[in-house]
Amino acid sequence: MTGATGIVAVLESRLLTILVFLPSAAAALLLLFPRSRTREAKIFAIGASVVELALALPLWSRFDLHSGGFQFTETATWIPALGISYSIGMDGISLLLVLLTVLLTPVSLLFSFDHVEKSARAFSIAFLVLETGMIGSLLALDLALFYVFWEVMLVPMYFIIGIWGGGRRIYAAMKFFLFTMAGSLLMFLAILYLAIRHRAVTGRWSFLLSDLVTLSFPTMAIQTLLFAAFALAFAIKVPVFPLHTWLPDAHTEAPTAGSIILAGVLLKLGIYGYLRFALPLFPDAAMRYAPWLGVLGIIGVIYGAFVAYAQKDMKRLVAYSSVSHLGLIVVGIGAFTSAAVTGSVLQMINHGLSTGALFLLVGVLYERTHTREIADYGGIAGVAPVTTALFLVATFSSIGLPGLNGFVGEFLILLGTWTSVHRWWAVAAATGVILSAIYMLSLVQRVFWNPLTREENRRLPDIRASEAIGALALVAVMVWIGVRPNDFLDRIRPSVEQVRQSVATRKVAATLSRPSRAERGTPRESGSVRQ
Amino acid sequence: MTPSFLTLGPNDLAAAWPETCLAVAGCLIVLLDAFAPSARRWFATLSLAAIALSIWFLLAAPAGLSFSGRYETSDLTAAAGLFAGATAAVAVLVARPYLERVGQVKGEFYALLLWGHLGVLLMMRGLDLLVVFIGLETLSLSFYVLAAFFRTMPASSEAGLKYFLTGAFASAFTLYGIALLFGKSGTVRIAALSRPDLAADPLVAIGLLLLLVGFGFKMSLAPFHAWAPDVYQGMPTPAVAYLSVAPKGASLIVLYRVLAAVFQAGMPDRFRTAIAALAILSMSLGNVVALAQRDIKRLLAYSGIAHMGYVTIALAVFGRDALAAVIVYFFVYVVSNAGAFAAVAALYRDETKPHPVGLLAGEGLRSPFASGVLALCLFSLAGIPATAGFIGKFFVFKAAIEQGLYALAVIGVVNSLVSIGYYLKVVYVLYMREPVEEEGPPALAAADRLVLGLCAAGILALGIFPAGLWNLAQRAAESLPFGP
Repeated sequence: MTGATGIVAVLESRLLTILVFLPSAAAALLLLFPRSRTREAKIFAIGASVVELALALPLWSRFDLHSGGFQFTETATWIPALGISYSIGMDGISLLLVLLTVLLTPVSLLFSFDHVEKSARAFSIAFLVLETGMIGSLLALDLALFYVFWEVMLVPMYFIIGIWGGGRRIYAAMKFFLFTMAGSLLMFLAILYLAIRHRAVTGRWSFLLSDLVTLSFPTMAIQTLLFAAFALAFAIKVPVFPLHTWLPDAHTEAPTAGSIILAGVLLKLGIYGYLRFALPLFPDAAMRYAPWLGVLGIIGVIYGAFVAYAQKDMKRLVAYSSVSHLGLIVVGIGAFTSAAVTGSVLQMINHGLSTGALFLLVGVLYERTHTREIADYGGIAGVAPVTTALFLVATFSSIGLPGLNGFVGEFLILLGTWTSVHRWWAVAAATGVILSAIYMLSLVQRVFWNPLTREENRRLPDIRASEAIGALALVAVMVWIGVRPNDFLDRIRPSVEQVRQSVATRKVAATLSRPSRAERGTPRESGSVRQ
Repeated sequence: MTPSFLTLGPNDLAAAWPETCLAVAGCLIVLLDAFAPSARRWFATLSLAAIALSIWFLLAAPAGLSFSGRYETSDLTAAAGLFAGATAAVAVLVARPYLERVGQVKGEFYALLLWGHLGVLLMMRGLDLLVVFIGLETLSLSFYVLAAFFRTMPASSEAGLKYFLTGAFASAFTLYGIALLFGKSGTVRIAALSRPDLAADPLVAIGLLLLLVGFGFKMSLAPFHAWAPDVYQGMPTPAVAYLSVAPKGASLIVLYRVLAAVFQAGMPDRFRTAIAALAILSMSLGNVVALAQRDIKRLLAYSGIAHMGYVTIALAVFGRDALAAVIVYFFVYVVSNAGAFAAVAALYRDETKPHPVGLLAGEGLRSPFASGVLALCLFSLAGIPATAGFIGKFFVFKAAIEQGLYALAVIGVVNSLVSIGYYLKVVYVLYMREPVEEEGPPALAAADRLVLGLCAAGILALGIFPAGLWNLAQRAAESLPFGP
């Protein structure tokens, strides 16, 4: 009895660490499985991800709604000589994203159970390592630790696209890897600079976010450069127009499970990183360039929508719809009012759910017909009613129909943007919302309703249990958010306020401590500082 | 003040134990090879024992100077001896199954490897430019022969001849540099170079530049790199595993020693610019040319040229933390680069032919262990976090930014991005293409499994828990007398 309570106590005090490393521990165990036992390996991987989900769920109720700060924090030294620590913790933003991650991973693995045959053991290992990378990135409060997890995500995703992907998978995998790496390497130098500056100022090494946010910078130019390095890394990941070109390729070629995770979680990490690191570390630069961010977001919204409408390939269409939807989230972050940012965070979850479900259902169709061409379908509704129904719900969620989750997020973003100084952004972004209804409904029309033209589609089997469980789980959460959004907003809002607060106070502090506004006014002076 | 060269005390002999056991083991192996051929299967074990003993002596020896101040035993030599010894052990472990596969189990391979390792130890420990030079020549002569080990193979003979001719030329540079330094300081002791008037002397500067050329050649630092791809291609892979790591580390430590002695008051900007230019050239040329390589050994040769560029950044930064970064880098480089060559040795069937990357197609699923380790080594060389390679670059770039050398750090990072292109190309061939060879590679020998497993474990252990290595490297860097 005492032994059991002891274990529970350890579980509770080290819960986040367990969440981070349980998947990779499971992956290491999978290495010991004989290669021929693919079925057992798959079941084991699904089991591990379900245990992970079960362990994460109590966080929902244990989370303190009244605190915007970090909870469940754990700290241990890692490289003491440089003040690098293993420091993790969770606020409302990361809570929801972690829950999204632990939900989407079993959904993806379950979907792959019947559809991934080629070296299924390696596939499961890659997925579990990826899960460690994602959760680690979401929880890390030390910049060195964050960077390690951030990059660790790349390798398994490269293999998932490259080995189990479609026709142009090699090109897509390489492009994905190089684009992401290009952004993050400069961020790596910026992180080093921050830590070295912290040492120069305080005499003490630290990579902790809470230490580094207290830094001020000698010139605005330096702050802008550092901000640019961070923002570039995150903007590529989101991806913000015009850095989005890797996304359609990666999404189209990735296996279904890879697309679900890529769209569901990996893209969100760009926004998350911006909120968690770039904004609090470089408040002045971030605020100065927020209008650019908003404008790029709007371009993404409209451009993504138009390109999505022109696609002939279902998966590419959903991929471009991601560019458009992520654009809207970026607009919300750029507007930076309380409602807009809260909406953006909720919309991250919403997009993960709806796009995850859409990719899953496109995968269901693809596995039966081996084509993603919209023209090859039509009239599926009568043949596969359950698939159709689920696809419809996911579509409605994606286009923001009231009663489902997408509406709440989009409404908050548009409202928050309207009340910000950039009122016209809301107008422009709203057209994107309308456009999304057009291209998504036309997709549904062409795939599910139009007359059934292809004979072989007449015998199309409907969705299977292993595929439907995941989709149903996602739909259930969509409805939950749509009906009781406050359950989620209450967890997001304090943390968003915390971020906005820290930006506001630091901006004021920076303006006060600055001797004059000279370097902003005269570029010559900032030039001489650099020399 | 200066005791006669010939008075040797017990201390001096004790300090030379690490080298003695290598020399004796090498001689013993050659004799056994001639008179007791049945002992051949014990050669690898004997060599490993000699290397282990030499490391043990080096670590156990009391710190201090010997041979009247010409020979050093310190934390620095311990750390350097450790990574060089580890490289030698990897080479021997790889060599055992390798030589059996090619049917050339010969004693001289092990003997030359041990003697070459002895030369590396002399370079790392010598405080006298002549001792260093003798070490350099011992190393070079051993490896000239090893390059031509496959006597009947034209590529191997070509490698031997090329390495010998260019190596001799480079040695002449080194010797001329030593002569100039001797001419100015009146002695060949490195410590004597710290006379304040020498730092600004033009002849000393020329001497140092000549040393930079000579040792840059051994490091395969561009533009003195041209030998490396050809020699790597023709040389037996286990010997390459050694040559591509330990001698480069020894050369860099010698350069650090000499420069630290001369520039007590910090490195002048002219010099820093020259070294930084070499670093940039080496990184950029190595990475760009590697993109075009089809042969894995040539690819790894150019990757090595690029890596010497990265680590030369730490020479340009110049300082205690930068030297510690160099030491970390070479520990990292042992597990990553020597590990990569070990995997290459295990994955190719026919040593008389070139090693095109294309032949690795599909091996990822057919021989998962060796391919997995090769992929891990390549990710480490590319500097992906959670592998050792990231830690190596981390400390180098940190040193550069601390010193304000932002441009070097940015160029280094951009180069890392370029390098991912060719490392990933190999990974892609391994895992994402269908096999071209009908049969898989031969089954892994126990020694191969051991060395590959150790390298993989090393890459992950150093990548995830680098704190211990950094402490060791920092202690080692204390041994070098930097100016105030």
